[in-house]
This record gives sequence, structure tokens and C-alpha cells, in this order.
Amino acid sequence: MKEITYINPVLLIAVPLALAFIIPILKFVWEKSIKWIPVAGFLFDLIVSITLIPIVLQKNIIVKIGGTTTPFSINLVVGPAGLLLSIMISLAGFLVAIYALKYIQEGDKTKYHILFMLLLTGAIGVVLTGDIFNLFVFFEVLCISSYALVGYLGNRAGIESSIKYLIQGSIGSSLLLVGIGLIYGQYGTLNMADLAAQIKTADSISLFVPMFFMITGLGIEAAIFPLNSWLPDAHSSAPSSISAVLSGIAIEVGLYAMMRILFTIFAAESFMGFLLFLGVITLLIGEMSAFSQNNIKRMLAYSSIGQIGLIVFAFSIATASGLSGGFFQMISHTLNKALLFLATGFMIYRTGSMEISSFRGLGKKMPLTALFFTIGTFSIIGLPPFVGFASKFLIFKAALAKQELLFIILIAVIILTTVIEGAYFFRIIQTLYFKESDDKSSKQESAITALIPMFIFALLILILGIYPNWIMKFIHSAASELLNKMSYLRSVLG
Amino acid sequence: MDFLYNYIYYIGAFGLILIGLYILLVKHNLIKMIIGLSILETGVNLFIITLGYLDNGTAPIFSKENLESNMMVDPVPQALVLTAIVIGLAVLALALSLAIRLYDSFKTLNLKKIKEQKW
Amino acid sequence: MILFYMMIFAFVGAFLIYFAGKSFPRIKEILAVVISFLLFLFVALLYGKDFQINYHNFLGFHLFLRINMFSWLFALTITFLGFLSIIFSLSYMKDKKNNAFYYMNMLFVNIAMLGIVLAGDLISFFIFWEIMSWSTFLLISYKKGSALPASMKYIIMSIIGSLSMLIGILYLYDLTDTTIISQLSHIIRFINKGDVIFVVILFSIAFGIKNAVIPFHNWLPPAHSEAPSPFSAILSGILIKMGVYGFLLLFYVIIGLDIIFHLTGLTIVLNVLAAITIIFPTFLAILQNDAKRLLAWSTVAQAGYIFMGITYGTELSVAGGIFHFLNHAIFKALMFLAVGAIEYRTKGIRDLNSLGGFIKKMPFTFAAMLIGAMGLIGLPLTNGFVSKWLIYKTLILNGSPFLAFAALIGTWGTILYSYKLIHNIFLGQLPAKFENIQKAPFSMKMPMMILSTIIIFFGILPGIPLQFINKIIVSFGYHPLNVSLFGIVSDSGNLNIINILAATFVIGVLIVLFFRSGRKSVRVDQYDNYAAGSFIPKEKYSYTNSFYAPLDRFLNSFLKDYIDIFYCKSAALIRHFCNGIRKIYTGYVGSYVMYILLFLAVLIFVQLNWSVF
Repeated sequence: MKEITYINPVLLIAVPLALAFIIPILKFVWEKSIKWIPVAGFLFDLIVSITLIPIVLQKNIIVKIGGTTTPFSINLVVGPAGLLLSIMISLAGFLVAIYALKYIQEGDKTKYHILFMLLLTGAIGVVLTGDIFNLFVFFEVLCISSYALVGYLGNRAGIESSIKYLIQGSIGSSLLLVGIGLIYGQYGTLNMADLAAQIKTADSISLFVPMFFMITGLGIEAAIFPLNSWLPDAHSSAPSSISAVLSGIAIEVGLYAMMRILFTIFAAESFMGFLLFLGVITLLIGEMSAFSQNNIKRMLAYSSIGQIGLIVFAFSIATASGLSGGFFQMISHTLNKALLFLATGFMIYRTGSMEISSFRGLGKKMPLTALFFTIGTFSIIGLPPFVGFASKFLIFKAALAKQELLFIILIAVIILTTVIEGAYFFRIIQTLYFKESDDKSSKQESAITALIPMFIFALLILILGIYPNWIMKFIHSAASELLNKMSYLRSVLG
Repeated sequence: MDFLYNYIYYIGAFGLILIGLYILLVKHNLIKMIIGLSILETGVNLFIITLGYLDNGTAPIFSKENLESNMMVDPVPQALVLTAIVIGLAVLALALSLAIRLYDSFKTLNLKKIKEQKW
Repeated sequence: MILFYMMIFAFVGAFLIYFAGKSFPRIKEILAVVISFLLFLFVALLYGKDFQINYHNFLGFHLFLRINMFSWLFALTITFLGFLSIIFSLSYMKDKKNNAFYYMNMLFVNIAMLGIVLAGDLISFFIFWEIMSWSTFLLISYKKGSALPASMKYIIMSIIGSLSMLIGILYLYDLTDTTIISQLSHIIRFINKGDVIFVVILFSIAFGIKNAVIPFHNWLPPAHSEAPSPFSAILSGILIKMGVYGFLLLFYVIIGLDIIFHLTGLTIVLNVLAAITIIFPTFLAILQNDAKRLLAWSTVAQAGYIFMGITYGTELSVAGGIFHFLNHAIFKALMFLAVGAIEYRTKGIRDLNSLGGFIKKMPFTFAAMLIGAMGLIGLPLTNGFVSKWLIYKTLILNGSPFLAFAALIGTWGTILYSYKLIHNIFLGQLPAKFENIQKAPFSMKMPMMILSTIIIFFGILPGIPLQFINKIIVSFGYHPLNVSLFGIVSDSGNLNIINILAATFVIGVLIVLFFRSGRKSVRVDQYDNYAAGSFIPKEKYSYTNSFYAPLDRFLNSFLKDYIDIFYCKSAALIRHFCNGIRKIYTGYVGSYVMYILLFLAVLIFVQLNWSVF
């Protein structure tokens, strides 16, 4: 078979990382160009990731660094699942970077751009790595830059949320590290494939304890109930562009890491039943807490918790279709929530308040922004023909395909949460369009650099909602990669 | 005593971890909580080092002619801990700088009194 | 592919209206009228066709559009009423802001409903159903103010319904491995009874909510009364009838006659629900003082008749149900349009207590309202008579006296509230502030005229629509009715409009003769009719005020919409509960740390002790 040449996936991590550290140098040379660096970096990543799709669909790409044989080298495993997320990350990174061109006006912009790039580089690292310690390191890169970015504005809310996030996040990392240590102590390896080969399935307490530590550690970043208390604070206090990335990317990356560990390393099927409930409870708590919020960003943050719960539920069904639903829901959540936060950012900028009641009449004053916001809400509730419908549809289908009474009951709960979700999102729509505002200021749209990314997100939401088949093949292979432990093993260990 | 002798480092490590968690759980003062975090991290680091530790082991460097591999301490945990220490340092630095900003904004470090972000 | 292109054309047209309307204000109205007329024309031309096409593949499901007699009749009604109410909107919406948005959504609703009836598989049925839900939400909210809670109620009920339908569809898919309607009808007989009942219940929630069957009716009165009147016409005339369509589709097309009527318990429950849906809303309608709210409650009651017809399950009743759907669409749309014309001329007044005496000022609207009300009551020579005749007859013949009694009580109440509506708006004294009220503009008269004509036309020649309905019920598997141009011939009794026409003519002549032979009547001023000419202060005696006061006193104390109150209470409870649940995010880090450690500790503890995982 002819060897296909492709761009080395290491560049997906190396290029943004290098660019991130070029920024401080550039500051002295050509300060105006700084804000374009993230745009360029993630555009590069996006293009490279997309070119890798056809190759990855055939077989996983394994990149070895600093070693010769697989278990002893640090390696990247670019499988469909990792690549899917890396595309989402670079897409969101690229679009949010464009958005930030105009949006970030205050504070030290150099720091913002460095941290922004580091955050997403960490995220790409997490999804592509094939080694649990590297996963930890990339995870810390992601976390530390997000702690700093949450407090970026330096206002009371930002600092308070940032420090709370930091404390909980650090506990999470420590627990994760303990888990990694416990695993390493037993098996003497950190390579995920190697570990997976040695652990057939999680059966003894000596495996469960490290698993619990790792689940708790990653669960904090993945915002699973009851580990998600940092999320509403952090997501609502960060600048909106960062909230978009945190909600759209960071928690999903945490969830992906968790699922990767559960499925590939431990293959803990019996634990999935518990996660099923945890997912539904997370969904319920998130949506219920969002219901009576007056602060729009807090509401969106709680809604993210809910969506994460739905994704956890989908993954915990642990069938191929369930995992496909989970991945699809990840994609749809990234698109929806990023779009919602980006639109909200300029709406807040315009009104100077995060109170929903202050958004009255914005449908007239910022028609396009409001329209994009509306598309985002319709999609997140799951109304056709938007992408949220396709993902919820897949999840329901996967759950009902189990044909168990338990799943019907859980789905009834999910329906209840969707109703609650609908209630609070439709309330915002009414506020935007059907309530008269007091001030008669003229029409003023968001900046054009903000409208373009919003437009692209909205377009993707619509297109993927009508033609979900276009990405289904990719999603199916991502799901089967995550579900099928043995093929992962074979592809890495050879 | 044998038990204690064999597991003293593990006991110490988990002792530190528990102390760290205890501090985080009960203390209200931000500085104390940061100290707790620090102790927690130290405990974790100690735990990982202990995994690869060997009594009377040598550094895993091929300096002598007749060095057996079972004489060397495991180098991987040391590499891990090195990384973890750096990460811990970064977190600590960030936490302390945030603590300063927090004090500037709220004039207190008592986290029980800083509850603007809730519900 | 003609169906698919038609849908695409309509969607593109809807967007075109919005964007063209932004730059050229006049063109959007022309476009809206033209597009809705073309849709009507397309559908009309599809008469007699029977085919289905695969137009899309959604996540592995093949989506179909299909047309046959059953969907053609519904599609025709939808596009026809859509066209008329858009014409009506021309003047109704003239001075309103943002009417490009209105026209776009109006078309969206019409297209979505068209999609529902043309859907050849349940997935596309669901997709169009949801598009209909959210575009309706936007339209009900359109008038702002008190319309907002109404539309909120609507959308929440609607989400509950559509999700339960989605679960039903997927459950059915798991059992049968298909969502295509024509295949489902063959496979369904291999499914056991319990599953069928479960699916029927899930679907019934969705359809029942749309069709406003008690206990799912509570969104309807506020939504109908707060929506813009031309849209109320659509809402009442056809949108809620999508529930009827759904029930027909589920019972007769998918499940089929030979299964559905062996589930006796189910049909009895549905029949009783229908009877309740006839009686209570009728009496609630009598008590209303808001013209549109009265009509809205009346819609609930009439939807009960239709529901009764289609769930009773004999040839006559199903034919009656479908025919009553058609008739109700026509006369209720007409009445909403008439009230809309009043509302338009009085600048938004719908309160029955403050209107009166419009007969001189708006005679045309009065005539339209009168014909509509006659149809609603079911007087002979109007279309409502025939459909109600079919329903009564089958109820009595098949030995369901209680149901028939419920239907009769419903009709009695219908007379009361129809009279109240007509009297309080058109008869009695004209309040002084309406001295200068003008006649309805032509674009409002035209749709009313067409609808009134159809009411009379169908009333005299019921054979024409009944022939179409006959084909539908034959496709359901019933024996055809013996339909003539003027009525129905059956072994238990014939309906012949000619006889009624003759009888009416004779009675009419007798009445004329009677009055001619009597004393000559004296014309008095409108203000004098209360006191027969003696002086009375004008404002003091308005006998349109608190009409049916004794009945009102008698019923008001215990006839409330308890179901709505129950829903509102439980919504408040949920809100309260939601508000409580978020208190777990206390704001203090120590408690958050505690959650984390507790989570870890519980996991380890549970595993150590019971090894559940």
C-alpha cells in the first residue's frame, strides 16, 4: 500500500504553542499584529485538521516523540474522535479570535491573546494525546490559562470567580494526579494504549479507586454535578469571548478526556449505569437553576451544565448510536453556545447590563445580532431545522433503542428539562423582540468582525441541522473509535 | 513496625494530602486555603516520587560500569513530579496574585464574606 | 418532485418577503398575496394525484412527501384559508410596524402546516410540526403586552406535545424499523396491543394539545384572543385541526380500523373526553366578555365535536368529523375575520360590554357574522347543519344517548353564545364614541364574502365536499356513504337539502305573510329601542352590558377553568422548586470543596462496601 503523506499532527499543537510565545516578542516589534496571531494560528490548525480527515478515517495516525517503541515514547494518537474535537476547537478558536479583534478593548491585550492561544492549545493537546500524563499536563495548561482568563477583566466578579475556580480546579488536578500515580504504581506505564492492554476491564477495587480519583478530577473540569459549582461563576464573569470558548470547548474537552479514560483505559461498563443517572441529574439541576436567572450569562452558563448532562447521558448509553449522539451533541453545543455567548457579548456591550430585562427591544436595535441569538436558542432547545434537533434526535433514538423502561423514564425527565429550557429561552426571545424598550436610541449593529463569526456559526447550525448526514460518517467512526477498545489498542501498539 | 517502615512515605504522602484537603475544607482565609493547596500538591508529588523510590537506589544514569537496572530508582515519576512542581508553582503564583487583587477589591480575604457570585 | 419544489418555492418566497419587505415596503404585500395564491393553485391542481417522493435523507431516515385525497383536502383548506387571511391582513396590518416579519411568519405557518399534511413519513411530519410550533409562537407574541404570557403558554404546551410525539415516533421506529407511513400501516398489525396503546397515548398528547382536547386545552383561549385576528382565523380554523389530521392519520391510516376499534377502553376514554370537551368550553364561552375569547372557547367546543366524530368510528361519524373540520375552518375563520374587522375599525376594542349597535355602521360585517354564527349553530341551509346532522345521527343510531345528549347540550349553548356575540356587537345601542365608525375596507370584505358564500354553498350542496370526504373514508377502509348532490341516502334516514330548502321557503313565506298581515312596524332610533321611545340617558342603559347576567351568576361561582388553574399552580410550583434548587450553589468555596470530596468519598465508600460497579 502506498504511504500517504500528510502534515504531521504535532504541528497542530506546536504551531499555536510557538505562536503564543511569539506574541510577547511581537509586542515590541509590531504591536498591531498581535491580535491577528490567534486568527492565523487557529486557521492553520483548522486547515490542517480538515486535511487530516480522510487519512484518519482510514486509520489512526500515531506520532511518536522522544522514544522508539510505543509504550516508552510520548505519543500523539490522532483518531477520528480526537480529530473531530480538534476541528471543533480550532474552528471555535478561529472564529472567536476573529470576534475578539474588536471585542477585547480593555486590559492587557497581549496577555489575553497569549492565554487564549494557550487555552486552546491545551485543549487540542488533551484530545490528541495518547498518554495520561501528557493529558494531565495539557489539561493544566488549559486550566491555568482559563483561571487567568476568567479574571482577565479584573473586576470584582471576575477576580472572585477566578479564585474560586482556581481552588476547585487545583483540587481537581491534584486528584487527577493522584489517580495517575495510583495507576502508574500498579502498571508502570502511562501510555493509554498500553494501560488499556493491561487492564482488560475494571473489576477490582485497586482499579476503581484510581478511576474514581481520575473521574472526580476530570469531572470538575467537565462540570458534572456535583462538581460544577465553579462553572456558573466562571462562565458568567469571564469576557464573553472567553465564556464562549469555556462553554463551547473547555468543558467538552474535560468530558472527552473523562470518556476516553472510562472507555479506553478502564472499559468500565458497569460504571456507565451510574453516569447515566449523573448525566440526567446534571441536566435537571442545570436547567432548573437556569430557569429563574435574571443574569443572561449566568443563565447560559447553567444551560451549559444542562447540555453537558445531556452529553454525559448520551455517552453513558454506551452504544455506538449513543456515542454518536453524544459527539453530535458536543458539536451542536459548541456551535450553539459559542454563538449565544458571542451574540450576548455585544448585546451586553450595547446595553451595559447583563440583566435580561435590559435587553428589551434589542431585536429592533441590533437586528442581526438578535437574529443570530434567536437561531442559537432555537437550536439549543432542539427545534428543527437547526442542529440541536439533529443531536437531540440522535440521543433520544439511541436511548429508546435500548428498549428498557429505565430509559423511557429518564427520557421523560429529559423532556421535562427541555420544557424548562424552552421556557426560559423563549422568554428571552420575547424580551428581545416583543417588549418595548424605554430608550429610543437608534439602530446600531455589533462590529462587523463580530458579525462574521456569528454568521458562520449560525450558518453551520442551519446547514448541519438540515444535512446532518454530511458529518455522520465522521461521527460514527469517532464513536466506534471511542467505544471499540481493541481497535484503538491495535492501532497504537501495532 | 515493618509495615510502618515499608509504607512510611505513602502514609506521609496521604497524610499531607488529607491535611491539604482538610485545610481547604474548613478554612475561610484565602491565604490559608492557598497554603492548603500547596500542601496538597506537595503530598501528591511525594506520593508519586515514592512510587519509583528504591532504598539505596542510585540515579538512573549509566555512570558506573556494572549498574543493574533494579538498582536504579524509576526515573519516570521524577520527571512527572518535576512537571507537576512547575505546574504547581504556576498555580501558586496565579493564586497569590489573584489573592492580592481580591484583597484590593473586597478588602478582605475571608471567603465566607465574598459571596457575590452565587446561585 | 413537484411537491418538494413547491415547498422550496414557498420557503424561499417567505424569506424573499422578509428581505424584500425591508427595502421595498409595498412589494412584500404583493409577494405575500401572490405566493399564497400560487400555493393554493398548486395544491388545487394536485387534485386526484396519489404518489409519494423521497426528498431527503436525514440521519438515515428517508423523508417523504406524499399526496392523496386525504392530505389534498387538508392542504387545500390550509392554502385557501391562508390566502384569504393574508388578503384580510392587507388592511389589518397596514399601519403596524414590522409587518414584513408578520407576513414571513404567516407564510411559515402555512408552509409548515402544508408540510404536515403532505408528510409521507413521521420524521418529516415531526419536523414540520415543530416549525409550525415556533412560527406560531412568534406570531402569537406579535401583539406584545398580554400576548406574551399567552404565547408562552402555547409554546410550553406545544413543546411537551411535540416531544412526546417524538418519543412515540422513535418508539414506533424501534418496534417496526420504519417511519414511512405507508409501510407502517402494514407492519403495525404485528405489534402487540400494549405497545400500540403506549404509542397512541404518546401521540394523543401531542395531537390533543394541538386540538385543544380537555385536559390539554388551556393554551388555546389566551392564544386565540391575543393573536392578530387574521392569524386567529388560521389558528382556529386550521392550525388546531392539525391535531385532527394527526388523529386521523394515527387511527385510520397508520393503525387502521381493524386494530384501533378493538382497543375498546381507549376509544371510550377518547369519546368521553370529547364529550367533556364539548360541554364545558361551551358554557365557558357563554360567560366570556371578550369577543375573541368567546370565539376561542367556542373553538375548543367545536374541536370537541370533530374529535367526537373521528373517535366514534362509524362511517357517518368519521365523515361528519372530517366535514365538520372543513366547515368549522370556514365559519370560525369567517367569525374571527369579522371580529377582526370590528377590532380594526374600533382600534382594538373586543370587549363585548362596550360594543353594540354596529349593524347600521358595518352591515356587511354583520351579515358575515350572522352567516358564520348560523353555520356554527348548525342551522339548516348552512354547512354546519350537515356535519352536525351526521354526528348526531350516528351517535343516536349506535346507541350512545349520553354522547348525543352532550352534543345537543353543546348546540344549545352554542346558540346562546352566538346570540350573545351577535347581539352585543351588532344590536342594541351604538355607544357614542363609535358614531363615526366606518365600514370594513374591501380587502377585509372580500375574504368574508368568499367564506360566507362557501358556507351557504356547502349548506345547500353538501354533496360536493362529501364526495371528497367519501373518498377519504373509503381509503380508511370504510364502506362509502351514499352521497347525492343534495345530501345523503342511508338505510336509517335520508338527508336531503331540497326538502329542507322547500320547508324553509314555505316557512319564510309564512313569516313574511304573518308580518305583512299584522300592524305596520314603526321604526325607532337605535337609542330608543330600550325604552320604546321615551327618554333615557344614553350611557346609563346599555343592555349589551352583562348579557346573560342570571346565567353568569349561576355558573360563575363554580364553572372555572380548573385545569388551567391546575397547570398554572403546578407551573408556579416548579418555578418555586427551581428557585430553591439553585441555592445549592451557595457561593462559599468551602461547600464546593465539600461537594467534590463527598462525591469522591461516596464513590469509594459505595464501591468498597457493596461493589456495585
